[in-house]
Amino acid sequence: MVELAVFFVFAAVAVIFALVVILHRNPVVSALSLVASFFALAVMYVLLEAPFLAALQVIVYAGAIMVLFLFVIMLLNLQHQREETTRPIQQALGYVFSAAFGIGLIFYLIKYAWIRAEQTTPFNSDARAIGIRLFEAYVFPFEMVSILLLAAIVGALLLSQRTDLRGRPTTGVDHPSGQNPEGAAASPRTGQPSFDAGQPSPAAASRRADPHHEGAK
Amino acid sequence: MPGIPTNYFLILSAILFTIGVCGVLTRRNGITIFMSIELMVNAVNLTFVAYARQFHSLHGLIFVFFVMAIAAAEAAVGLAIFIALYHHRDTIDVDEANLMHW
Repeated sequence: MVELAVFFVFAAVAVIFALVVILHRNPVVSALSLVASFFALAVMYVLLEAPFLAALQVIVYAGAIMVLFLFVIMLLNLQHQREETTRPIQQALGYVFSAAFGIGLIFYLIKYAWIRAEQTTPFNSDARAIGIRLFEAYVFPFEMVSILLLAAIVGALLLSQRTDLRGRPTTGVDHPSGQNPEGAAASPRTGQPSFDAGQPSPAAASRRADPHHEGAK
Repeated sequence: MPGIPTNYFLILSAILFTIGVCGVLTRRNGITIFMSIELMVNAVNLTFVAYARQFHSLHGLIFVFFVMAIAAAEAAVGLAIFIALYHHRDTIDVDEANLMHW
């Protein structure tokens, strides 16, 4: 009985914060609501007798991935940027289609995938059981995932490098799109003085330029 | 101890997935679209865990583990793409991302 109450409370939390994610105009609020929704999902994993995955959900999702999102939002200074409203026809079609999709999904679940024989025996899914299975049967996919993460790191570094439109890396940090090569006093986008608006020291300039020259070879 | 019916978790997962679909379809901010995709990934994870308990199979839990790793890789690369887009276009509105138009 208590379990059922906990389920309904945290299901409501998950759904409400998920709605805030897609309805709020400020991306920082969206990201923090997504963290709250992920915490509620971690509670669901505990209720489903998978405490190891609940810990993983909190550490990896709410901890690592959402911090990445928040860093990018802060880095691009998006928290002050108001999103333009979507075209009404696109918005209406989106709501109608997703409502139809959701109703169809729940109808399908109730009609064809309704589980009648509930599992009642306890399920042992602690870290030990998962680890043994992971390093016996799934050791090859596990190693593949490590290579995939390495490729993602390299790809992210390559993509987030400042380049001009031809894909060549630009030097320096005070001319974002390579259009004003000689250090302008103000950053062109914000009108605020940039961090090193004056004359950068030659050592700093060469240090900054060096990796790009290596990358261009 | 009769736990919570698996069906409840499946319905919750369907609702969360639908909210994610709605976010992808109606928003224009690239980062918010990305967060909606994460929401859908998590809804599917919940389904995996629910069925894993129902059928007493650890395979579902291990699949959730892999999905988390791949979601992390996807988030890193996707956010890097948005940073590159912002450098070129000064916006992350996905309607403005038409460099590959032709």
